[in-house]
Amino acid sequence: MRDLPNILAVARREFLFRVRTRTFALGTLILVIGVVAIAFVPVIVSYLDSANEEPTIAVWSSETDLTTDPVRTLDALLNAPTETQVPGDPTDRAFRVTTVADLGAARAAADEGDLTAVLAIERAPDDGLAFTLYTNEPAVGRVVQLVRQASTTIAIADRLDRLDVDPADQATLFAPPAYAVAWPDPERTDAPEGPVEEGSSYLLGFGMTILIFMMIILYGNWVAMSVVEEKSSRVMEVILNAARPFQLLAGKVMGVGAVAGLQYLAILGAGAVALLIQGPVSELVLRGGEASIALPEGLTIWLLLEFVVYGVLGFTLYAVLYAAAGSLVSRQEDVSQVVMPMALISTAGYMIAVYAATGLLDIQSGAIIVLSQIPFLSPFLMLSRSAAGEVAPWEIALSIVLLILAIAVALWIAGRIYAAGVLLYGQRPGIRTIWRLTRSGM
Amino acid sequence: MSLEITDIRKRFGDVQALDGVTFGVAPGEVFGFLGANGAGKTTTMRIILGFLRPDTGSVSWSDRPVGEWPRRTWGYMPEERGLYPRMEVLEQLVFFASLYGVSRSEARRDAVDWLARFRISEYANRKAESLSKGNQQKVQFIATILHEPDVLVMDEPFAGLDPVNVALLKSAFLEMRDRGKTLVFSTHQLEQAEELCDSVAIIDRGRLVASGTTREVKRSTGHQTVRLATSGDGDLDWLGSLPAVQVTRPGRDYTELRVAAGADPQAVLKAALGRGDEVFRFEVADPSLEEVFVERVGALDVEEQTLAPTSEGGTP
Repeated sequence: MRDLPNILAVARREFLFRVRTRTFALGTLILVIGVVAIAFVPVIVSYLDSANEEPTIAVWSSETDLTTDPVRTLDALLNAPTETQVPGDPTDRAFRVTTVADLGAARAAADEGDLTAVLAIERAPDDGLAFTLYTNEPAVGRVVQLVRQASTTIAIADRLDRLDVDPADQATLFAPPAYAVAWPDPERTDAPEGPVEEGSSYLLGFGMTILIFMMIILYGNWVAMSVVEEKSSRVMEVILNAARPFQLLAGKVMGVGAVAGLQYLAILGAGAVALLIQGPVSELVLRGGEASIALPEGLTIWLLLEFVVYGVLGFTLYAVLYAAAGSLVSRQEDVSQVVMPMALISTAGYMIAVYAATGLLDIQSGAIIVLSQIPFLSPFLMLSRSAAGEVAPWEIALSIVLLILAIAVALWIAGRIYAAGVLLYGQRPGIRTIWRLTRSGM
Repeated sequence: MSLEITDIRKRFGDVQALDGVTFGVAPGEVFGFLGANGAGKTTTMRIILGFLRPDTGSVSWSDRPVGEWPRRTWGYMPEERGLYPRMEVLEQLVFFASLYGVSRSEARRDAVDWLARFRISEYANRKAESLSKGNQQKVQFIATILHEPDVLVMDEPFAGLDPVNVALLKSAFLEMRDRGKTLVFSTHQLEQAEELCDSVAIIDRGRLVASGTTREVKRSTGHQTVRLATSGDGDLDWLGSLPAVQVTRPGRDYTELRVAAGADPQAVLKAALGRGDEVFRFEVADPSLEEVFVERVGALDVEEQTLAPTSEGGTP
């Protein structure tokens, strides 16, 4: 590869020049701060929550002989454990439940907001229990609903008591029944998917597709701009004497690609570090209370590797064409027009991938499977399919081979357009000119 | 061992930019390429350097096609100065040289030397856009020669330079020639060409109208120039009546005459003495390049006005 030294020299200049600009430093900083902030959202939210006074519900009862302790029943229902919480961990309680002796004072406290609600339990004339909830909360609110449920339980326990049902038997009466969720398809034996998992794997394909799409659009444009910059500053002729057009083109794509890679590494690295240190930080801030975050499920090493491979190859394919397009115009204002075809194709690929990932298009349909082999679309579609777990290894291998072949062809064509285009000033070439340039080379 | 341009033709759309251009440049000589804007100078240079492929014809250096020589054989200074505006001067000089395969440390050392010679050392770490045009041009020249090319191809190297910098650049030219480099440059400042060039070629609308050593070209019209100063200055009518003589430049110090091919310049002296005037100065010389150019091509200024807007844009 006698081209390599010059390609590397061009890439080195491009990389160092871009990385040293204030725009790059500032942009990266803002993005890193943004990612870290997003990663810490759960901790921040929990922190803000914990800063609030614990909502308290007071219980006043005229009866002292209830077999069921109303405080315990309320506590159990209001603070029902969620999946991530350790049952019985007192720090996890959302509500505090206490007893009061003075109903009048408690009602006044509830009115002033010191108590969330006061539940009064009395013996009704028909021997049943009567409940009154004194609260400023909305009557259809969650607290009111939960207290109503608890009251029903307490009332039923009281009735059973008065029917002389043994408290030990009552436990079995209140025990939850056997209850299962199963697939309608009798052949299907895998475990039912939880809602959490489904959401995150769809998000994963979605997120990776966005990242690749942004890389192509943003940095591809950067490649084209940089080519035009060299043309308009006329430095192109100077370097054209030293290096072949192909070397200039390849070096530029490599240099801008490295800038993109660095920025992505910085952002994703910051995000990963933020996620990793979230446990310790939340422990520190929340004094032991742990915010519920984990790495997205479905994120495997293989999927990450696919993301990197499709990202690099997809970017290369598009960036090479962006460079050729940039070589055809001599003013920055004209860039957006010549890069339109690439922008449209990548947007199409991205949209199809997003529709497929979100279920608007059937990701298992034949059309998607065929489209996912087309080089300009495969970086988006294959990732979506992989994240959904609907793809065979040979399909991935084939699409990568096709992608590499497409890059080789694109390099050849772009090199020829570039060689002729860089000396073209002051005229906007039409399709016919481009065709002629591609055939003749200059 | 010479640069041979053989019958090159190039057409851009409707414009025949070059129409059978043939000339040779001997190694180690300074060669001037003269012509109005749009005459085909830049296109010829781009073909020599391999940026453009001629429709027909060939260019060889030392009996091998130019494309077979390594890129560091060639140094090119384009007409439109090209530097990275927001890159530091020294850094971009090192970058350019490294593309030709010069090691970065060596390039840095030589670039520092050259910047000092051109008295612009203090700009080494400044961005190119902060330099004056003249200084940018000097940086451009350093970029052209830093990799020690055998052949320097320069498009209008003197355009836009003040007299001090013209002198600096001329001495650098001569040093390059003394180092054995072959220099090809285009210009329409004919005095520079006359002073510097061993050989010249004049091109007009894609056709070569004269080429050879500077002396050959100057003599190619057959005219001779006579510079005359007499005590009877001011009355020039008698000169016009002489056969085959034309006053080309009436002046205070001396009068310049053109003596047609075949006529004897001594006849002017005899006529002056015959009138009884004292002769202070009588000099027979070859016509200047400018005279030759004007005679072959027409006045430069007129050419520029008529050709510049249409042709230059059409010959990328």
